[in-house]
Amino acid sequence: MNAQPDLSRRAFFTALPAVTAGLAVPAHAADEANPHWSMLIDTRRCIACQACTMACSMENVSPEGQFRTVVATYAITDQAGKTGLAVLPRLCNHCEEPPCIPVCPVGATFKRPDGIVLVDGDRCVGCAYCVQACPYDARFVNHHTGKADKCTFCSHRVEAGLLPACVETCVGGARIFGDLNNPQSDISRRLAAAEGKTSVLKPEAGTTPRVFYIGLEKQLDGRVDGDSTADMMWRPATQGA
Amino acid sequence: MKISKRRQVLALGGLAAFAAGYSETAGRMVGKLLGHDAPKHKTAGEAPAPEFRVDRQGKLEINTAQQVSYTTCLGCTTMCGVRVRIDRASGKVLRVSGNPYSPLSTDPHLPMKASVRDSFIAISALNGKGLDGRSTACGRGNAVAQQIDSPYRVLTPMKRVGSRNSGQWEPISFEQLVKEVVNGGNLFGEGNVEGLGALRDLTTPIDSKQPALGPRVNQVAVLSSVNDGRENFARRFFQQSYGTLNFIGHGSYCGGSYRSGSGALFGDMKSMPHCKPDFANAEFVLFVGTAPGQAGNPFKRQGTLVAKARTDGKLSYVVVDPVLTHADNRASGDRGRWLPIKPGTDGAMAMAIIRWLFENERIDSKFLSFPNAALAKQNGEPSFSNASHLVVVEAKHPRERRMLRASDMGVEMPEELRYKETDAFVCLDQSGKPVFHDQAAGPAEIFVDTVLTIGGKEVQVKSSLQLLREEAMRLELPAYAEACGIPAETLAGLAKELSSHGKKASVIAHGGMMSGSGFYNAYALLSINALLGNINWKGGFVANGGGFKDNGEGPRYKLDGFPGMVKTSGTPLGRNVPYEKTAEFATRKADNKPYPATAPWFPNAPGLTTELLPGGLNGYPYALKALILWSSNPLYGIAGLHNKIAKDLADPKKIGLIISVDPFINESNAFADYIVPDSLMYESWGWVAAWNGVPTKAMSARWPVIEPQAAKTPEGKAIGMETFFIALAKAMKLPGFGENAISDPDGNTYALNTPEDWYLRGGANIAWLGKEPVADATEEDIILSGVERLRPLLEKTLKPEEVAKVAFLLSRGGRYQPGKDAYDEEDPRWMRNPIKSMTHLWNENVGASKNSLSGKRNNGCGSWIEPAFADGTPMRKVYPADKWPLQLVSYKSALQNPYSIGATRLLGLHPENPVLIHPDDARRLHVEMGDLVEISTPGGSLKARIMVHAGITPGVAAIEHGFGHRELGARAHRIGRTQQPQDKRLAAGVNLNDIGLLDPTRPDKSPWVDAISGASVRNGLPAKMQRA
Repeated sequence: MNAQPDLSRRAFFTALPAVTAGLAVPAHAADEANPHWSMLIDTRRCIACQACTMACSMENVSPEGQFRTVVATYAITDQAGKTGLAVLPRLCNHCEEPPCIPVCPVGATFKRPDGIVLVDGDRCVGCAYCVQACPYDARFVNHHTGKADKCTFCSHRVEAGLLPACVETCVGGARIFGDLNNPQSDISRRLAAAEGKTSVLKPEAGTTPRVFYIGLEKQLDGRVDGDSTADMMWRPATQGA
Repeated sequence: MKISKRRQVLALGGLAAFAAGYSETAGRMVGKLLGHDAPKHKTAGEAPAPEFRVDRQGKLEINTAQQVSYTTCLGCTTMCGVRVRIDRASGKVLRVSGNPYSPLSTDPHLPMKASVRDSFIAISALNGKGLDGRSTACGRGNAVAQQIDSPYRVLTPMKRVGSRNSGQWEPISFEQLVKEVVNGGNLFGEGNVEGLGALRDLTTPIDSKQPALGPRVNQVAVLSSVNDGRENFARRFFQQSYGTLNFIGHGSYCGGSYRSGSGALFGDMKSMPHCKPDFANAEFVLFVGTAPGQAGNPFKRQGTLVAKARTDGKLSYVVVDPVLTHADNRASGDRGRWLPIKPGTDGAMAMAIIRWLFENERIDSKFLSFPNAALAKQNGEPSFSNASHLVVVEAKHPRERRMLRASDMGVEMPEELRYKETDAFVCLDQSGKPVFHDQAAGPAEIFVDTVLTIGGKEVQVKSSLQLLREEAMRLELPAYAEACGIPAETLAGLAKELSSHGKKASVIAHGGMMSGSGFYNAYALLSINALLGNINWKGGFVANGGGFKDNGEGPRYKLDGFPGMVKTSGTPLGRNVPYEKTAEFATRKADNKPYPATAPWFPNAPGLTTELLPGGLNGYPYALKALILWSSNPLYGIAGLHNKIAKDLADPKKIGLIISVDPFINESNAFADYIVPDSLMYESWGWVAAWNGVPTKAMSARWPVIEPQAAKTPEGKAIGMETFFIALAKAMKLPGFGENAISDPDGNTYALNTPEDWYLRGGANIAWLGKEPVADATEEDIILSGVERLRPLLEKTLKPEEVAKVAFLLSRGGRYQPGKDAYDEEDPRWMRNPIKSMTHLWNENVGASKNSLSGKRNNGCGSWIEPAFADGTPMRKVYPADKWPLQLVSYKSALQNPYSIGATRLLGLHPENPVLIHPDDARRLHVEMGDLVEISTPGGSLKARIMVHAGITPGVAAIEHGFGHRELGARAHRIGRTQQPQDKRLAAGVNLNDIGLLDPTRPDKSPWVDAISGASVRNGLPAKMQRA
């Protein structure tokens, strides 16, 4: 643990009970064979360089202009007139209660026991109901395949004992990926160290996301639905002409 | 209107994907059928299989269909070590990430002794290793792999068809290329063209009346871009073998004014040493015109260290810039703050800080009082300054504004040694008695203003620090505040903060210095470090560790010289030498009108591409006859240059021969007569040190981890810079190439016929440097790293005992000193690789120089000078604010660089560069978000879309660099019978440099450059805007 040497370790042991309660994960669930994958994004360490965005794009050979993860970047002016930058790395939240699953008419979208929500491309008919249902606007219909598409946590890499592409290449070290069921994992220890000061997007949606944030801007919390995103988006090439 | 309902929130980027997904959904619902290619894998889609697997016990299993190799990026000038993942069957690069051995990509980086196998495991998920030892590539570093397969690559030698810049070419053979450019002749049906053979005239003077200009060979100039690890080879050919003096890089349109300011501080205006904050251990950093995480060099390493330090460490920082940057992050609270400033006024801020430090006695007087290195070290200071050294200020004295020297005090020495290194400086000891700086036994007086009797005459002298203090006291804080737009109490607050962290605070600048007062702004800012006494301190202002020299005398091979090597001579075409030593000056002086010169001279600048082309086309000081552009694009990069010279460049009667070596057709080599393909990034060889910001030694290897795509020479080698130059050398029978060109310490000689002959032997030198040679690569290292592919070349080229050691370097992507070696063995509070230069509070070379147009003296210390044209006339005097109310500035994003536009995945996220203006200006101009506006400067006008953005200083319009291309795919060329594809995405946006200024005070009306550094001015251009 180079990033947070002794502090986080100490913090882990003292803060464990509170956090396990907060995460609703049994404290004894340290079975490596049954991982539950999750991501923690410490936005204080994000420099909005989009390395994650581009690495994901290259790794997953996404159609150009369609991304499974991006770092939304906002200029926010506060009441005092001071302007600053806020970042919101976004991806599929791999929810515990994924609203994309029940709406799928062919059962193509499913959640694996390891927590990863996936789309079976063989089954998907591209109806896009799931795209509509996702409160995080994390899904799209792939231009090339015509199938629903989204972040897989790079399941193909995770299964090979590797990290998701976005995590591997996160320049600021903001993205932490790991096993919630292993209390020794980086993510478990950091969540514990954060002592409940983490948040998720749209908690009121009842989706129980498995992407956690540190330092999430309150103002951005409600700004991830399709309407407001489209409204805020600025793409001179296609709009405003 | 595409801004938030709540108005105080503005989305800047990264929203493309999700919204596109949403709109596509809508399209889908009305029955639009999208896509038809079934994904390869039902859940992983198109993603290729992983490159290897690491099981829970840490066992590595390789995917033999792929190759993972460590080499060096060229997505910007940082030269990060990267790991390139390649599909073996197709040779296609699948993805790029970081090299875990490289400190430019990893913190902390792996020790060299770790095997390649261990390095793969180190980036895996096993036990959190890959999180702790994360080794990254940035967004652009990921995307630029696309350029390898770009449809716009030049892959065969080409000769222009029709006039220059016609966009039409014919592919020609390598033999024809070499023959024509060497021999010349009537190559284009336009009359005779002098070839490189005839132009290599080392004896005939360019002008017999001005022998100082040098031989005719100097009329051949070579412009390069950045040292990507190959520049030494190019210099060996064009300087040491062919013999021209004029070989220049891109510094004068990169961050030249910053480098020159630093050069003044460290007393070397040609090599311009510089330092960086020790990001990992600093407590406070003032970033000015540079922002960690936004751009700069080392882009990624700064971003990584600062993100970590502001979150888990002690660092807080302020970024001073006209534009809000990615160094800002609201989640980090007050750890990082943005402070807007008026363009080009950083010197006012710096001098205010300096004044406050003096007035409040917050300078590090102890450090400043030691006049030499040994005394400083004895007293616990790892560097020293000339604060106490005396400067002659006596009016009309022959040494006026120069340092008082031992020889001035009557010490006898040979004339040629006077005023050189061994001619000591003079200071006053604490009893007020003059003492030579190298003989001082204790601290010296730092504030001196006195009269000494020297040689029977009274001479007024002042100490360097005294001169800086007087300069700082020239204005009060409110006046500085008025100039830069930062409130006086904030300026005082910055000064207080800077002086509240001992040695662990520093000030750094970079590209934001490219203004009409850039040199003095940079010198003033960097001088604050000397006042804080932070140089070479852990947490302070620290030197780059440097590299391991490949092309030196060398423990294995002598690569820096050869029999018959030319010693270049003459006057550089960029005029970076004193005007007062020219024949022109002598003539004009005889007429009693020594000033102005025909065009400005820059005695305190390095080689200047900014000046070379206008001067060479004007024939001042002499005419260019042939121009070589090696991956160089000055017409895109220098403000105002395209307007100034495009017409002349298109005229073959002006410069007879233009040859480019480049993987692409850019805005400059579109004017070439011939374009020779070059290797690109992962196809190339090279050895390159970190530019700065890495305190340990770091030498990255560039080696062809994929097969170069360019056509082959008759000998079967890929055509590129090296093979072309070797062929030129052989065709002209020049020394230093071919048989017996390289020697070893035992006197044996070796051929230089191929790139490997050079780079592999350079690798052998690197392997044997230091206390002991590096270890041998194991068989497994060689196989796992893909070096296996080149093993026959290594075995053919190197001595048997060298093969495994060079393979060791290639397998690890370079040679890197361990991270723990950053700090001094005796005193861990000091850096192990210190900057040895004396810090100059007064630089006599600058202070004694004169403006070659006005004849006025330049100041020799940090100073606040309003942005001005070449003769010293303030810009606002010529272009007042009532007529030109806005000022344009250039900035860089984390994504786009001047040559990355073809990486189209970047464009999917960030398709163009709307011009940023402040909401107050938008209201005043009656324009809104997304409006098309016309932006005019005295240098021209362009149409652009605007983005109304509170993250910018009112009165400023900011244009991101990297868009507005005319070439690199923006125009489809015809090569033989093939028409390049049209891709209008590559022409998106605007280029500020297209409306750069020509300097109205220059007799030659050339582009505006800083009067000292000669660096391009792109920040603070007077402008106006109206709805188009």
